Amino acid sequence: MQLDDLSRDLLDATIRRALRHGGDFAEVFVEDRSSLGLSLEEGRVERAAGGREAGFGVRLTSGDRTYYSYADDISEADLERAADAVAAALRGAAGDGRVVELGPVSVGLPTAPVTVPPSSVETAVKAGLLRAADEAARATDPAVIQVMAGYLESRQRVLVANSLGAYVADDRTRLRLTVNAVARRDGVIQTGYESLGKSLGFEILDEAVAQDMARAAARKAVTMLDARPAPSGPMAVVMGNGFGGTLFHEACGHGLEADGIAKGSSIYEGKIGEVVAAPIVSAFDDGAIPGEWGSQAVDDEGAPTQKTVVIEEGRLTGFLYDGLRAREAGAAQTGNGRRQSFRHVPIPRMTTTAIAPGEASPDDIIAATDHGFYAKTLAGGQVEPASGNFVFGVAEGYLIEHGRLTSPLRGATLVGNGIDILKSIDMIGADFEVKSGICGKDGQSVPVGTGQATLRIAAMTVGGTGS
Amino acid sequence: MIEAVDRLLELALARGAGAAEVYAEESVSRRVKVFRGSVEELTQARRKGVGLRVVQDGSVGYAYTSDLSDASLGEVVATALGNAGVADPDPDAVLAEQGDEPARVEVYDPGLEQASDEQRIELALAVERAALQADPRVKSVDEAVYADGDAQVFLASSTGVRGHFREGHCYAYAYVLGEQDGQIETGLSFTVARKPADLDPAGCGAEAATRAVRQLGAGKPQTTKTTVVLDPYVSASFFGVLSAALTAEAVQKGRSLFAGRVGEQVAGPGVTLTDDGIHPDGLASAPFDGEGVPCRRTPLLEGGVLSGFLHNVKTAHREGRGSTGNGVRGSYQTTPGVGPTNLVLSGPTTPFDDLIGAIDHGVLVTNAIGIHSGANPVSGEFSVGISGLLIEGGRVAAPVHEVTMAGDIVSMLRSIVALGDDARWVPMGSILTPSVVIEGVSIGGA
Repeated sequence: MQLDDLSRDLLDATIRRALRHGGDFAEVFVEDRSSLGLSLEEGRVERAAGGREAGFGVRLTSGDRTYYSYADDISEADLERAADAVAAALRGAAGDGRVVELGPVSVGLPTAPVTVPPSSVETAVKAGLLRAADEAARATDPAVIQVMAGYLESRQRVLVANSLGAYVADDRTRLRLTVNAVARRDGVIQTGYESLGKSLGFEILDEAVAQDMARAAARKAVTMLDARPAPSGPMAVVMGNGFGGTLFHEACGHGLEADGIAKGSSIYEGKIGEVVAAPIVSAFDDGAIPGEWGSQAVDDEGAPTQKTVVIEEGRLTGFLYDGLRAREAGAAQTGNGRRQSFRHVPIPRMTTTAIAPGEASPDDIIAATDHGFYAKTLAGGQVEPASGNFVFGVAEGYLIEHGRLTSPLRGATLVGNGIDILKSIDMIGADFEVKSGICGKDGQSVPVGTGQATLRIAAMTVGGTGS
Repeated sequence: MIEAVDRLLELALARGAGAAEVYAEESVSRRVKVFRGSVEELTQARRKGVGLRVVQDGSVGYAYTSDLSDASLGEVVATALGNAGVADPDPDAVLAEQGDEPARVEVYDPGLEQASDEQRIELALAVERAALQADPRVKSVDEAVYADGDAQVFLASSTGVRGHFREGHCYAYAYVLGEQDGQIETGLSFTVARKPADLDPAGCGAEAATRAVRQLGAGKPQTTKTTVVLDPYVSASFFGVLSAALTAEAVQKGRSLFAGRVGEQVAGPGVTLTDDGIHPDGLASAPFDGEGVPCRRTPLLEGGVLSGFLHNVKTAHREGRGSTGNGVRGSYQTTPGVGPTNLVLSGPTTPFDDLIGAIDHGVLVTNAIGIHSGANPVSGEFSVGISGLLIEGGRVAAPVHEVTMAGDIVSMLRSIVALGDDARWVPMGSILTPSVVIEGVSIGGA
């Protein structure tokens, strides 16, 4: 059976079957995902792999307990078996097992139209992008010795139905191009990375786009060949735009996800209305930005995505909820119930998170800094939400001396604690940009965006090997 | 499943594939998460899928599906052949030939499937209880989890490879929050085995609690260059990053720090590192790898001297040698890459207390975060966030956090001066390692 063959009656019967021994909520999530991935290295398209996986998961909750069963076959027998498995776990439990009858399916409208579906484009054209990127990166500088380029497209169709009467279909197209250049000179090796990911069609990609990204990646790698080891210790840090949004994602965003709030494992628990950042800081999560990598019409529970303001002029204003935690807390769902696939239960996750832009020009921010570290591009990061301690790696960094960028610096990591760092942001630029990334939590990876303008943190610990 | 494998292989050859290989897996897994004495999440799952690799005029194409119907298998063949038409030809794109017998290693214990859901839930509860009882400063057990996997792998190719094995494992872990004066610190511990009866839930919960509460009261140390002791968890992270530079693929593609250095002293003289694909206790052990090549032991560092690299069939063909059985596969959705199986760090050891006793000033590093963003196996830069305990006058002293530790992988490896006698398996990456002492590492704090 295919996703399209599933009738409303069968979904309804599965929901009722799951709830027959009690419980207060049941849901069926069906997914059919086709993907294509191409990768190039050594000037050759080495890997061309495509495929399809389809399956479903049945979820049953009773109070704060969740039972989940999934299978990678879609058939009446499999749906029955999964419903029986979760129902059996609840035998004899409380809960009224009420079911709201399903109405007609509502279909999610993409946040932006997909003009050219990736599957309508010849695979050879996609391979051509990677070859163009390879040539452009190598032509940038003779020190470029290796180029790794990757193309990924996916079409994910989902169908969600639950006992509260939600019945929603969504069709999501995503594509992503990445270029990683390796440069070597006098025994020093450095890498430079660029990526572009959107929830849009092939209309956004052509060879010129791939070449521009490749040249940017190559320039980063070559620039860093001349870098000296980053210093170590506390100093002023200017964070670049785009990837710099990883700062907010790690320093604050994970701590706002409502599962950690519910379990008392976030430093932001009980702090609504309190000052958690400098007054110039406002921040939001927005799963509905048209065409962004982290955007989609509805989340993986069928709730519409939205813009949620989480910090307004330094005060904490909201958390990011999935259905379960919203019901528990008596709060409204915010469209943040996301899952990697039908093999996973939905949990509260960020979509695109950002610190809202200010008015300063990035040049002015650097000019106003007497001595500090400019983290132009970040390589990713990690946080422990319970303590708020976070870290991120710097892919491209520079020393700031007397208001000017001087030497490139390599091998730096930044560490800090969420609230301390947000409170010490003292300048925010106007050059807002969103970058695409993959975020991992509880063993689940989902596409997310990080947005930010250039900003400055008065003091932060930089970790390098130099002095 | 074996019928679907044979059908797909026949179909690929009938449609004109020059050479073809089918990899399939079928598994059952369960996961129990408990919180405050009751089940928070219980998941059970069946998973299956099949992947087809074809080599057509020297080009490789790959396709996969979770749908084993005839129509779907037909689509897989068409997609794989189409993808081969797009990939560039590569003289080293070959499949494994029928070769040696699979390695004799037992990776399944029937005790795994004999466990009941009640027993699985009780294991997770026992982990949580042990953590809560270990110390009054334990605030909560953020995650107390039991999980297992029971998987069958099938492989068949037109070049004569044909094999099957069943692998099972289970683990439990605790992620504990300790609290004191408003400060929260975290601690993690694992227990892994082939069957639930061999897990140590009480030890796991208690250790996670200890790791969290001993960090309470942590401050920032002075920025300095000093001796560090990486405990087994952190050492496993370090060697996990390093192993990416020890594959022949990284060497051949110009992104290994160790290219051209076989026979050189690249690590401290007490350092021996082995990739052991047939270790009876290693969770990554298997009779054969993702291409059907028998798993084995491959020395990487012997007394600090670089002795070789890890190969799959492709990297081995390029050098006219044999694969080392390191054609690793993430799942049926991916083509085989090159990577370690189980890594075992060994050498002359010193009792842990003597190790600490010999250090006047230093840091015992018990947790590292930001490994994936701060450690670059291509450039060799290693800069991560750490927490741990200061070492003063040969004794473990005050806890520290919000600290950076930075060095370059090559110098750090060469500066390993001693190994502890506390070797244990760390499941992330499946690494058996003791504590490791490294001199002259940069610590960034206040």
